[in-house]
Amino acid sequence: VSFVELPADIQGLVLMLGPGLPFVLGLALLLRRWQVAITRLNAWSALPALAAAVLVPSGIYKEFSWLLLTVRLGVDDTGRVFLFFTALLWLLAGMFGNSYLSRDRHRARFFVFYLLAMSGNFGLILAQDMVSFYLFFALMSFSSYGLVVHSGDPEALRAGRIYIYLVVMGEVMLFTALVMLYDMTDSLNLSSVAHPPANEIVFALVLLGFGIKAGALPLHVWLPLAHPAAPTPASAVLSGAMIKAGLLGWLRFLPLGQVASPEWGGVCIVGGMLAAFFGVLVGVCQTNPKTVLAYSSISQMGLMTVAIGAGLSSPAVSPLADVAVITYALHHAFAKGALFLGVGVAPATKEGTRHRWWLALGLGLPALALAGAPFTTGVVAKTALKLAIAPLPDPWPGYLAVLLPLAAVGTTLLMMRFLFTVWPRRLAPFHEAAGLRLPWTVMVVFAALSAWLLPEAQAPVYKALSPGALAPALWPVSVGLLLALVAVVTYRRRILRWIPSIPAGDLVAFASWVTRPCLNVFRNYLTPTLQAKSSTLSRSFSLFQDACKKAQFLWDLEEVMSRWIVVVTVLLSISLVFFSLLLLT
Amino acid sequence: VNLDHWLPLMIVLSSLVPGILIFCLPERRVSLRTAANMVGATAKLMLTAVMIWGVFHEHIYQTRLPLLPGMDLVLHTDALSVLFATLSAILWFLTTLYAIGYLEGSPQPRSRFFGFFSLCVSSTVGFSLAGNLITFVMFYEMLTLTTYPLVVHRGTEESMRAGRIYLAYTLTGGAVLLIAAAWLKALVGPIDFTEGGMLTAFSGLYRREFIVIFALLITGLGVKAALVPLHGWLPVAMVAPAPVSALLHAVAVVKAGAFGIIRVVYDIYGIEFAASLGVLGPLAAVASFTIVYGSLRALNQDGLKKRLAYSTVSQVSYIALGAAVLGPVATIGGLVHLVHQGLMKITLFFCAGNLAETLGIHYVSEMHGVGRRMPWTMVAFTLGALGMIGVPPLAGFVSKWYLGAGGLAAGQKWVILVLVASSLLNAAYFLPILYVAWFEQPKGLWPEEHYRGWLETHWMLLLPAVITALLALAAGLLANAPFSPLEWARLIASREYGP
Repeated sequence: VSFVELPADIQGLVLMLGPGLPFVLGLALLLRRWQVAITRLNAWSALPALAAAVLVPSGIYKEFSWLLLTVRLGVDDTGRVFLFFTALLWLLAGMFGNSYLSRDRHRARFFVFYLLAMSGNFGLILAQDMVSFYLFFALMSFSSYGLVVHSGDPEALRAGRIYIYLVVMGEVMLFTALVMLYDMTDSLNLSSVAHPPANEIVFALVLLGFGIKAGALPLHVWLPLAHPAAPTPASAVLSGAMIKAGLLGWLRFLPLGQVASPEWGGVCIVGGMLAAFFGVLVGVCQTNPKTVLAYSSISQMGLMTVAIGAGLSSPAVSPLADVAVITYALHHAFAKGALFLGVGVAPATKEGTRHRWWLALGLGLPALALAGAPFTTGVVAKTALKLAIAPLPDPWPGYLAVLLPLAAVGTTLLMMRFLFTVWPRRLAPFHEAAGLRLPWTVMVVFAALSAWLLPEAQAPVYKALSPGALAPALWPVSVGLLLALVAVVTYRRRILRWIPSIPAGDLVAFASWVTRPCLNVFRNYLTPTLQAKSSTLSRSFSLFQDACKKAQFLWDLEEVMSRWIVVVTVLLSISLVFFSLLLLT
Repeated sequence: VNLDHWLPLMIVLSSLVPGILIFCLPERRVSLRTAANMVGATAKLMLTAVMIWGVFHEHIYQTRLPLLPGMDLVLHTDALSVLFATLSAILWFLTTLYAIGYLEGSPQPRSRFFGFFSLCVSSTVGFSLAGNLITFVMFYEMLTLTTYPLVVHRGTEESMRAGRIYLAYTLTGGAVLLIAAAWLKALVGPIDFTEGGMLTAFSGLYRREFIVIFALLITGLGVKAALVPLHGWLPVAMVAPAPVSALLHAVAVVKAGAFGIIRVVYDIYGIEFAASLGVLGPLAAVASFTIVYGSLRALNQDGLKKRLAYSTVSQVSYIALGAAVLGPVATIGGLVHLVHQGLMKITLFFCAGNLAETLGIHYVSEMHGVGRRMPWTMVAFTLGALGMIGVPPLAGFVSKWYLGAGGLAAGQKWVILVLVASSLLNAAYFLPILYVAWFEQPKGLWPEEHYRGWLETHWMLLLPAVITALLALAAGLLANAPFSPLEWARLIASREYGP
């Protein structure tokens, strides 16, 4: 709903400035003499995008036919919600970051990457054609590498390395998928992509390519490493806004509402539920509050994947599934953003009961919202999800009616774990707490209100307010709280002695844990025996080494090739062979 | 004077005359030599602009001079020759600027260098404007001979060896090409380059001969285009001075081969006729193998220029791949990469030259933190490298998009796999360089710091690199704008495939 009717030129300008302003400011930050001035402005460059979300009506497109392979920008109904929370998140996190990083030596560098990633994130939401979507997606993904490795310590570098591997893999998958879609539909417009002929390869590539960004299950490994490694404001946008780009990619490029694909729908539902529980189980074993939140993101994105799966299963469900995805994304963005900013605020909180209570409220409210407690935005999102699942074909509603409340129990437990780890024990007085508190407070307010005010979510809002909705929302949270209490008490009383420690980045850590002994065996045992050259084992290994040397010789054929006499002979004999072939036949 | 008849010749002469003039100048007349260089380069740019305008409006410029009985020297302008001549005119201008800055104070004779440099460009423009096979072969051979003194310019043992290898490869390649050209002429008479293919008129005749001649032509051209296994000279020849490597990898030698392959496929055989002969499949296979092999070899090269050289081996074969896949979309991809690869690769070589000249950096392992010392150079390098990987909106993305879509349109899905493999490998050997340069701390002193001044390095070294990087960006970002390389490639493709 647009409040003010803008002239068409201004609408076009606003659309262009959405991604354009942060990009230009990001580049201008590279010039040293402008750094001081721009650093004050950087967060506010999200305003044009916010204006586009609020003021530009749907169906208005600004086309730049000379740019790339025709760039088309516009706001559609789905994009509007995404743009709204994305822009607000970047704005608030940027303001937060200005204070948070005020003593950081590499602050300007951080904001260069911050603004470029911001530009990419806005652009991909506004993009109405494949190529500019891909362009902005790549801009966002590559720029956020700079956010991940900002601190420069070994963990951040490792996280960045794993992140960039997956980004490159994702880029390549998406490139392939988009070229194939273009070949099938012969159009670059996203509106015509909405009718692609079903193709299994494209399906798989889109699911995997965007699944990397969305933290879908086997591809999530970068997320619990990268999100905590980044400075807190960057974690907030990574987990709140950028992770949703994967979700939006699914909405844009999967034939939701066009083709019924129960198989892929089933894959999404099962994968999503697995992620929901996996995130909780691994998350409660974490000690770093930001890692706990990252695992919570994996878990919550799993629930959104379930909604996508519902839409894929049957076209009739897809409008409901769209509402569920949008509502959930909106709710999760603000709640997770508020929690991440809270991680930065908590150590900067002053001593005193009043301050402690405000902190508890600010952290507890979004945490309860994620768990889906009554009267929070979470209950709207979960109701929307349940509405989307209800009309699914048979086994699903039954299974999910059991599993979803269990997931909510898990989320409550995870949130308690988060509050436990984040609660300040020592004070870190060096932050300008006032500059941190204002954006955080605004974020908490949005986390409390967001989904209630979403026009698309009317049906779930009414349902969530009905008296019958209270008990189903209340009991999982109560059970979760009880479990948390039991865990704390048993741990304090030394009944529960052992908490499994699962390193962040579970599968990657597991893989290196599995391979390290093998490498050690190789290094410690085989190499010395090779040098000793005594046993038969080592003899066979030296044979192997010789073989390798011979292969190396083949590999260096080029050395031979670069002797001129060889070249002349080879080339002349090739032509002779051709001649003789002709004469013989 | 009728401009229509003399324009192509004037374009060739605009660098030939300064070249000869420079040979006659004594070594110490620096400013006169620079003036001759720059006047020639500017004149060529302006003449090329006239030519672009004319060809766009379907005007035909042709110079025909009798050479031997039944054999004419033909220079003419069609859309394809304009594409390449424009690229070489622009890049020559920039490389000349770069070379003047690069060779400042070098002990070797600079007259010789710039003389042969101009001759080299004349032959490049010559073969791009060539209207028949004989003219093409002549300029192609002239290119071989005029590049040799540039490769061995430093006169060290290593560069003399590189020169020997270079000559061995290219002269034999040239001989094979000449044999094929003579044979083809004996079969069908004078071979004028014709849009849509000139041998289509002979379909049904000489099928077997045509196949063998195609193989010979591609073998001869493949030496310069560095198709595996004929690529051995290229990584060795990177000992040449940076402006020479830049020109060698971007427009002159390597591109001569690629351009020749395009001419053979489209304007001698005609793509449809070539497809009916069944010769495109093997060409596509060789090109694909080269793409992957070159990238694999680039992975573990520590020498920066060597890594770039293997990257060229891989990237130039995109052009051959585009030519070998039937269909206008793939054709556009191959043609546009002719320009895009040139812009990106010349940027990378300029930057490598800047690093070597300013800080003495020759190896990737010496590049720690160099982004802080030479930010503009490394920004240009980053743009070039990301373009090679195919990150939008840089030029390389547009090439890859069209090649991929062209492969699918022709029903050849494996093309996508080749592109994917190559993109991954490109990322694997370019991203670590960017990481080391931007995110690592400098290790201490640079190997050999030469330049300390207001800018990070001499402006004549910096400016060309920045300009070509911006051109590579613009070629992708403004791909749909009028007179962009992509639009021009579309024009060529529409003329090759007919209405």
